[in-house]
Amino acid sequence: MKVSLKWLQTYFDEPLPSADAIADAYTFHAFEIDESEAKTSPEGEVRPTEQEARFRGDLLDVKVLPNRAADCLSHRGLAKELSAILDIPLKNDPLRIPLENVDLRSPHLEVEIEDEKKCLRYMGAVVKGVKVGPSPDWLKGALEAVGQRSINNVVDATNYVMLDIGQPLHAFDAAKLMQKEGKYLIGVRNAKADEKITLLSGEEYALTSNIQLITDAHADMPIALAGVKGGKAAELTSDTTDIIVESANFDGTTTRRAAKALKLFTDASLRFQNRPSPELAAYGMRDVLKLITEIAGGEVASVVDVYPARPTVALVGVSHARVNGVLGASFTVADIEEVFRRLGLNASVEQDMFTITPPFERTDLVIPEDLVEEIGRIIGYDKLVPTELPPIEGTPDQARFRGTERMKDQLVEQGFIEVSTQSFAKKGDVTLANPLDKGMPALRTSLESNLKTALEAAKHVAPLVLAPGQKPKLFEVGTVFPKSGEFMELRMTETVPAWGDNFPTFDNLTVAKLEDYGKDYTPVCYELGAYQPFSLYPFIARDIALWTPSGTKSAAVMGMIRENASELLVRLDQFDTFEKEGRVSYAYRLVFQSRAHTLTDDEINSVMDKISSALRAAGYDVR
Amino acid sequence: MNDEGRLHPISIAIRDIADIFGRMGFGIASGPELEDDWHNFTALNVPEDHPARDMQDTFWLKPASSGFARPDSSDESGVGIRERKVLRTHATSVTMRKLEEMAQSGVPEMRMINPGKVFRNEATDMTHEAQFYQLDGFAVGPSGSVTLAHLKGTFDRFYREYFGPNTKVRFRPSFFGFTEPSVEIDVWFAPQGKEGKWLEVAGAGMLHPNVLRNAGLDPEKVQGFAFGGGLERLIMVKHGVPDVRLFHTGDIRFNYAFDEKIK
Repeated sequence: MKVSLKWLQTYFDEPLPSADAIADAYTFHAFEIDESEAKTSPEGEVRPTEQEARFRGDLLDVKVLPNRAADCLSHRGLAKELSAILDIPLKNDPLRIPLENVDLRSPHLEVEIEDEKKCLRYMGAVVKGVKVGPSPDWLKGALEAVGQRSINNVVDATNYVMLDIGQPLHAFDAAKLMQKEGKYLIGVRNAKADEKITLLSGEEYALTSNIQLITDAHADMPIALAGVKGGKAAELTSDTTDIIVESANFDGTTTRRAAKALKLFTDASLRFQNRPSPELAAYGMRDVLKLITEIAGGEVASVVDVYPARPTVALVGVSHARVNGVLGASFTVADIEEVFRRLGLNASVEQDMFTITPPFERTDLVIPEDLVEEIGRIIGYDKLVPTELPPIEGTPDQARFRGTERMKDQLVEQGFIEVSTQSFAKKGDVTLANPLDKGMPALRTSLESNLKTALEAAKHVAPLVLAPGQKPKLFEVGTVFPKSGEFMELRMTETVPAWGDNFPTFDNLTVAKLEDYGKDYTPVCYELGAYQPFSLYPFIARDIALWTPSGTKSAAVMGMIRENASELLVRLDQFDTFEKEGRVSYAYRLVFQSRAHTLTDDEINSVMDKISSALRAAGYDVR
Repeated sequence: MNDEGRLHPISIAIRDIADIFGRMGFGIASGPELEDDWHNFTALNVPEDHPARDMQDTFWLKPASSGFARPDSSDESGVGIRERKVLRTHATSVTMRKLEEMAQSGVPEMRMINPGKVFRNEATDMTHEAQFYQLDGFAVGPSGSVTLAHLKGTFDRFYREYFGPNTKVRFRPSFFGFTEPSVEIDVWFAPQGKEGKWLEVAGAGMLHPNVLRNAGLDPEKVQGFAFGGGLERLIMVKHGVPDVRLFHTGDIRFNYAFDEKIK
């Protein structure tokens, strides 16, 4: 949710703290802030203009959590949060200003809802004599501050009220709807098979029967995708004088599925899919009618409200003991009452019990733990003292794990290297409905083929990482998915000498009795250093052998080789030595590799020449 | 002479982690990677209509290969929720299975870590892999005995022992279906020679009463915390590995890209 700090400020008399302080308040007590938004301009421009810089300074992208999307995808909701976190009173809360009684007899408009589970409330209003035109500067500015485009005064009013209190709204051109006996008839129904609608964007969409439409029921003409987007058929123009304003509540699942099916996620669908209270529709209608008549003129001719089942709000209670028992805190009754006061939750306290009546917009407050969370986050999780768990009875059960690790340790001792490979495969007994890589739609039935591929690769790179003469041998422990059911497979690229030639190159660890094998075993623990990136360019290996006078240390020779090799030398191993006739022979393998290019033989020949010369100069006999 | 081979860095990390958590009373649990909808979603209080179940996040099985349908067609297929299979999207499914065991056996308390492979149907990049390891876990005991402050204490100690003594831990509010309250766990870590910063490493919270109830436990009598986070990420942070895609290529150069010594 893109939030304008200026807009937020309109909710407070007291000046708000800096953007950083506000961001911290949200981060540690409510929601994460999307940092990327604050740093890059919408166009990703590196050097923003002064105006953009101001725009950015005013904008905060708040990542409202799913359980609060019903009330906090709005400036009002976020202002209320900030008020509770910082304990600064709200100047006014539009949702606490009582609704005036509206005359709901509607001589001009009727509404028919086909499925009351999919449309929980529909309010419609007819406003006559509006003048569609540009918005006043304050309204344009407010919308532009959160990255929205100004369209005209009526559309801007609906968008403004949505961003302000969270209720999606829409306005239709009444003249484009049919009247019978002086009445319009709005229909809310499922689309018919093969029905189509052209949206405001001009794009035509083919519909399916689970997509809900708003129609001009007299003409049986679709005029909007319910809760998603308005249609072209009843679009406002500069000639529009009479409008029908919609403030409704569409079912979250229905709306989300429609938006998903049409790949049309809008500000409205995003809000409906999070199930705001249908109570909100009346506040949205009140605010938008006030704003429209203020800036576009006209008169509200009638309002209709179809509200089949008003939700009941249930009391939520939590005991003082439970609050501290879940959080591991020692908050006092006064601490807790203070949180409820700041959140405007009006708790009553009786003995050990706090009871609140959630305001209608707080659809997330249902169970005692919901209240525990409110208390924890508003007071601040930094107030929780890290406490170690008390000792537990018995020994923690790690025997099976340790049994597996014991097998791994034996394999490592026997020269095997452990690899990890992908679970996806070209072919298998289990196929995915939606693979990421269409070429790998199945799950592996065995580790064999991946290990074979890994071994081929390992042979190529062995001189880089293994001692000369060390044969690459691999193993993997991983889940495989044959028809008979998944299991944890251990597989080696060859037999393990220590386990005897009869032990196969694989084992089913899921059925293996590993508990006894592991229960008294302590796996070897290793200390790893920092990751050193390896080059992906080919390497060149060269051997060098030389005679040295008796008593010459290999380390001295290796030091001389390193000194004279360039930084291209990535590995140096002594692989042979013997003494004969008072002289010592040494043989070394040198492996060269560049981080930047493919080496040529010429390049390495000259390095080898330099090394040989240096060794000869030291009196060694290079063979 | 027989040259030794090498463990994969993930094995090395899990051993360290198992050792640290073991000293805090945690055992090690595992469960299937091909998980039913009940243990992966429904029992964990992730409702039927939750966006997390969307085709773009979860790998579902092709009906032909298993007789199980994807969620979109569930209404018509008549296949029960409990049986539909997915590649588990988190190892919290193992927590659910252990909680069920707890309810059946009647043991009053349990602490487990569940390190294991999980799957997300996401485009891969330097920080995202479609398959990765998660360090999931939980501690449950009689009401009031395992609290959010214990979660903080557990991670405070875990990070100090895994990353080093100068780390700090902090919580931020979050939301997960299976926990209430829910938090994000951040760790303050300064790699050698680099500036320290706060890193988001795990999601956690107090197990939601519905989850305990779904396991057959009485939320009035037992409570506990659960946590989960990427395992590769811990290794990446600790050792400076730049790309998560290096872990599961089968390339032995990755094993040898670290200096290694026995502790």
